[in-house]
Amino acid sequence: MTERTLDGHVSISNLEKVYDDGAERTTAIKDLSFDIEGGEFASIVGPSGCGKSTLLYLVAGFLDETSGSIEVDGDPIDGPGTDRGVVFQDYALFPWRTVMENVTYGLEEQGYTKEERRSRAQKYIDMMDLSGFEDNYPKELSGGMKQRVGLARTLAYDPKILLMDEPFGALDQPLRESLQDQLIDIWGDLDKTVVFVTHDVEEAVYLSDTVMVMTRHPGTKKNVTKVDLDRSQTREAIITSNEFTETKNDVWKSLREETQPEVQP
Amino acid sequence: MSNVSVRSVDAVPAPLLRAGKFLFDWIPLVILTVLWEYASGTAVPAEILPPPTRVVGEIQELIVSGEVYSHLFTSLFRIGVGLGLSIAVGVLLGIGMARLDPVEDFFEVLLALTYPIPKTALVPLAILWLGVGTETAVLIVFLACLLPIVLNAYNAAENVDKNLVWAAKMMGTDGRQLFRKVVIPATIPEILTGVRQAIPIAFIALVSAELIASDKGIGYLILTAGQVGNYPTMFANIVIISAVAFFAVRGYEILRERVLVWT
Ligand SMILES: Nc1ncnc2c1ncn2[C@@H]1O[C@H](COP(=O)(O)OP(=O)(O)O)[C@@H](O)[C@H]1O
Ligand SMILES: [Mg+2]
Repeated sequence: MTERTLDGHVSISNLEKVYDDGAERTTAIKDLSFDIEGGEFASIVGPSGCGKSTLLYLVAGFLDETSGSIEVDGDPIDGPGTDRGVVFQDYALFPWRTVMENVTYGLEEQGYTKEERRSRAQKYIDMMDLSGFEDNYPKELSGGMKQRVGLARTLAYDPKILLMDEPFGALDQPLRESLQDQLIDIWGDLDKTVVFVTHDVEEAVYLSDTVMVMTRHPGTKKNVTKVDLDRSQTREAIITSNEFTETKNDVWKSLREETQPEVQP
Repeated sequence: MSNVSVRSVDAVPAPLLRAGKFLFDWIPLVILTVLWEYASGTAVPAEILPPPTRVVGEIQELIVSGEVYSHLFTSLFRIGVGLGLSIAVGVLLGIGMARLDPVEDFFEVLLALTYPIPKTALVPLAILWLGVGTETAVLIVFLACLLPIVLNAYNAAENVDKNLVWAAKMMGTDGRQLFRKVVIPATIPEILTGVRQAIPIAFIALVSAELIASDKGIGYLILTAGQVGNYPTMFANIVIISAVAFFAVRGYEILRERVLVWT
């Protein structure tokens, strides 16, 4: 191969997911095909309940697809794997472990020595501005700090694909923006593929190379918008640019059609 | 009214407030003791309701003479073994029921059926199999404590946060490790709650079992003193075992706080 391609290519084809709890069958995802290049930052927006989390958990391998397939770098996924890391909406930190112990969890499983674990974890703890809280338990942290621990925990074991489920949804605006910018930096530095679920169109366009809009329940791909922004600019320059505003409006209108179906002609 | 009292409470220094609360908590017991002292010899003959002052004297005598210790030790030993066994079996059974459907199906009906049986009703039967003594008492304590422990462990293991299990799996944990690293720690708070519920039950079951038939133990002392009409000694032993049970629960709660710093 002459062209440089990154690992972490996610290929979803004809995906269908039906939840079956015995009494009721719910089709959450229907006929969804979507390709995410290695190293790409892809956002998924869609109305509440359209199957965004379901899609993410299918890619994570937590759930089994009903039909269709998900491949990572050409191999069908088989359950959860350390090549993919989820950042959960409700953090999912281990409450009985301190910040340090949460962040070292994945490294523990990979057999690093204690010193290696601590020094690696410390790097991400510092990156997430959590220094000084290494020995605190999750219950002692604010929501924003918990989410940063969640991010540090996932980054620490170095999965090539980051799957993020509305990670900044519960945070206030300044913190949200600072984490968004940190995420862009991390993504730029670490060559990771990111699949980012959000309900915030501005966030999606600001962060992504690609934004997929999903239809309302049962969810499928509605359209995909490529975002072409000059990321070397400041946040202010980006969000006031015409390119950004136009893309945001396109995505917003498309999403709007799904959340307000009755005003359709 | 309530606002005013809240504000005035805020103005009181904390140690004084704690002391006040402590006194307030013990007021009912003090009232009961005073009434008892007064009723003894007036409303009720002192022979069948000895006054607290006599009972305290009797407790002193039991302690000074050292007569009570071997019996107390026997009772505590039986409680310890019975409770220990019920924790070991109950935690395994509860978690097993939550994680494995066949185990759940197998034990669910059995537990539901045996739940309402007063375990002390089994004492005569247990004596038939095991004779009078420690084995029977341990069996009764074990059976009485098993259910709160199974139920708490079962509930906790059923409700382990799915996201925590997923988080561990994505980082490479599976099989038995998942059990050790996620399921067990996640269920520990509720298991310890089950043990907390089981401690007083253990005392009740033990004394009841010893009252029905035994060769030793505080229940035995209560029974024999009652049989010969030595009511001060009977009351003294009741007070001793109650106090021991009270401090066992308090001590356990302090220990639990220490263990669960993260909750
Ligand atoms: N465990 C489940 N069992 C049954 N139905 C579910 C389950 N999880 C989600 N669903 C249903 O699947 C649909 C998609 O849910 P979800 O993926 O959580 O949507 P989103 O994340 O976009 O809000 C919803 O209709 C939801 O009710
Ligand atoms: Mg969701």
